[in-house]
Amino acid sequence: MEFLQQITFDAFLSQLLVGLSRAMILFIVSAGLSFILGVLRVPNVAHGSLYMIGAFAAYSITNAFGSNPAGFWVALVVAPLIVALVGLVFERVLLSHLYQREHLMLILFTFATMLILNDLVKMVWGAEYRSVNAPAVLAGSVDVFGVSVPRYNAFLLVIGPLVALGMWLFTAKTKIGKIARAAAVDREMVGVLGINVSWIFAIAFMIGCVLAGLGGALVAPTLSLTLGMDHTIIIEAFLIVTIGGLGNIWGALIGALLFGVTQSLGLLVLPQFAVVFPYAAVVIVLLLRPTGLLKSVW
Amino acid sequence: MRRTLFVLIAALVVSVMLIGCAAQPTAAPAPTVAPQAARAIKVGIVDTYSGPPAAYGNDALNGFKLALAEINKEGVLGAKIEFVTRDDKFAPDTGLSMAKELVLQEKVDILAGTVNSAASLAISAYALENKVPFIVWTAKSDKVTGEKGHRYAFMTSENAVMAGFAGAQALAKKPYTKFWIAGEDYEYGHSIADATWNSLKKIKPEVQLMGQTWWKTGEPDLVPYLTQVSSAKPDMVIFATGGSGMTNVLKVAKSTGFSDKIPMWIHTAIDYGVLKPLGANGPEGVFGTMDYFFYYPDTPANKAFVKAYQDAYNNAYPSFASFHAYTTAKLIAAAYKKAGALDKEKFIDAMEGLQIDTPVGQVEMRACDHQLVLPIFFGVTKKEAQNEFLTATDIIAVAGKDVMPACADIQKLRGK
Repeated sequence: MEFLQQITFDAFLSQLLVGLSRAMILFIVSAGLSFILGVLRVPNVAHGSLYMIGAFAAYSITNAFGSNPAGFWVALVVAPLIVALVGLVFERVLLSHLYQREHLMLILFTFATMLILNDLVKMVWGAEYRSVNAPAVLAGSVDVFGVSVPRYNAFLLVIGPLVALGMWLFTAKTKIGKIARAAAVDREMVGVLGINVSWIFAIAFMIGCVLAGLGGALVAPTLSLTLGMDHTIIIEAFLIVTIGGLGNIWGALIGALLFGVTQSLGLLVLPQFAVVFPYAAVVIVLLLRPTGLLKSVW
Repeated sequence: MRRTLFVLIAALVVSVMLIGCAAQPTAAPAPTVAPQAARAIKVGIVDTYSGPPAAYGNDALNGFKLALAEINKEGVLGAKIEFVTRDDKFAPDTGLSMAKELVLQEKVDILAGTVNSAASLAISAYALENKVPFIVWTAKSDKVTGEKGHRYAFMTSENAVMAGFAGAQALAKKPYTKFWIAGEDYEYGHSIADATWNSLKKIKPEVQLMGQTWWKTGEPDLVPYLTQVSSAKPDMVIFATGGSGMTNVLKVAKSTGFSDKIPMWIHTAIDYGVLKPLGANGPEGVFGTMDYFFYYPDTPANKAFVKAYQDAYNNAYPSFASFHAYTTAKLIAAAYKKAGALDKEKFIDAMEGLQIDTPVGQVEMRACDHQLVLPIFFGVTKKEAQNEFLTATDIIAVAGKDVMPACADIQKLRGK
């Protein structure tokens, strides 16, 4: 147990904070996926591609502003809206005709969409790597309990809970949110009540897209944007949604926290095998609770 | 219903993993060349044109095309050199089937290309079975011309052993003893890390390895990994990453302040393709090695190449992949001229020991292992006021022959 002695409290705390901040992005993306899965009953494989579009859109927007730091903040707002627009067109033109189909069809359909969107991104932005710089305010590090944490990660730690709060307010307090939750449970009954379920679905899908786009815009300053970044995130997001409980947004939050924290703390213990930890956690959760940690709406 | 969904999701996750970074087959059509009296020489290129490494595939193709335009003005053996290209989608099995298709259907005389080290090795084995010359121009696995080398395999890129040795030579001169190795968990990552560490250990026996950290390729967030390495407080970190993973490391090294605290070396960290996306915000003071810069060496030959490339491709600068493919085309033409016939065995004999002039000076195809001998440059990243991006400064050129394993060692490797 020699390696355990090397672990100091500072190292533990900084790993924990960094892991939590990573979990925030995973949560935002997975919450969108889970919401669509819950309300529309669509396992949207193209969700990762929407996240990628959000990231690339954020790149174009910040680039258009040049060295003006406002570019990043505008991108945080506009990129998710662009993604929502793409999502709306996709939902109205294609997806809305397919809700009655079985899940296999929907998976294949959204899988094909993922490939198409991937090529679309390649046509619009090309194959080169892109990089977005965080504004100067968020560069450098801050001290949290004596541990230095990159300022951008600290920012993510603030944004994540805000998004969670926003989602809670939306689903619990607004009329549309309540109808969406009702539609998730019994869509026929909601239709019988004279509510246009089709448009509720369109709005729910757009909200999922906004979350994907926001995740993409938030992740942009932390990595280089490449084609294929959608594959990584979609696998992780599906795992998180599954361990959290299908369609349950709070499940997505718990799943993301579990995923992000096991990864960063695993690093502290066995750095050369760190990749394994989050997946091992997924396996353990599913063995103990096959339907996920929280109640699944399915 | 829930159960079926789980099965579906599982199947889906597996299939997404399987397709990796695949997007779509991009098979650029062969250029139409007016038929000549003699048969045209046909080069079959298998390279990556989709997914994250697509930038290398495209650059290499551009460099190759530029060289062909120059070569075909005169022709070789009274004919032109043509090419057909296929997308391996960065997957070894796809690469192999594309290579087979090129040999069987397109009847190519030579195979070339590949970014992916595993694809290179797969195609190399096929090339040996079918006695087709195969030239690797971007992948860096030292196995291609080392352990798994044979008569039909050639390599025009610098391999991981050469890069590692060049890096180790420079690192040994620094006053550091406690090292950490961190990198991407794939063939190239491990081969560059092993090569560097083994050479460093040999040159400076007192160095010690504190630990290692490996993440999967395409790992989205490296902050947790770098914080962990940083809290272990090594004297210096050897990073083993490539492509977009490299840009990620540099970005996070800068944003977390890692690069200010701990000296780091990464092969290709000083590459223009890596530094350009970071713009003026790349980390300064990162040590790296590289075998091609469009701005160094500042010789007429390099300037002429850069200018021709910029004229042909919208002012884009040639990358190391463009340079390797350009050099490969020139080698192919020179070898056929020397061989005097369109024959695979004679081509190989002509390639062995062949010397040609390139933008970085004279290079030689070493006869004993078919590895191109080319110089490697060690430098450090710096922001110069006139540039929008970081460049390498304090460049030290290490001659190719000084970083290559001895022919006897290669024989020993292949013999076992």
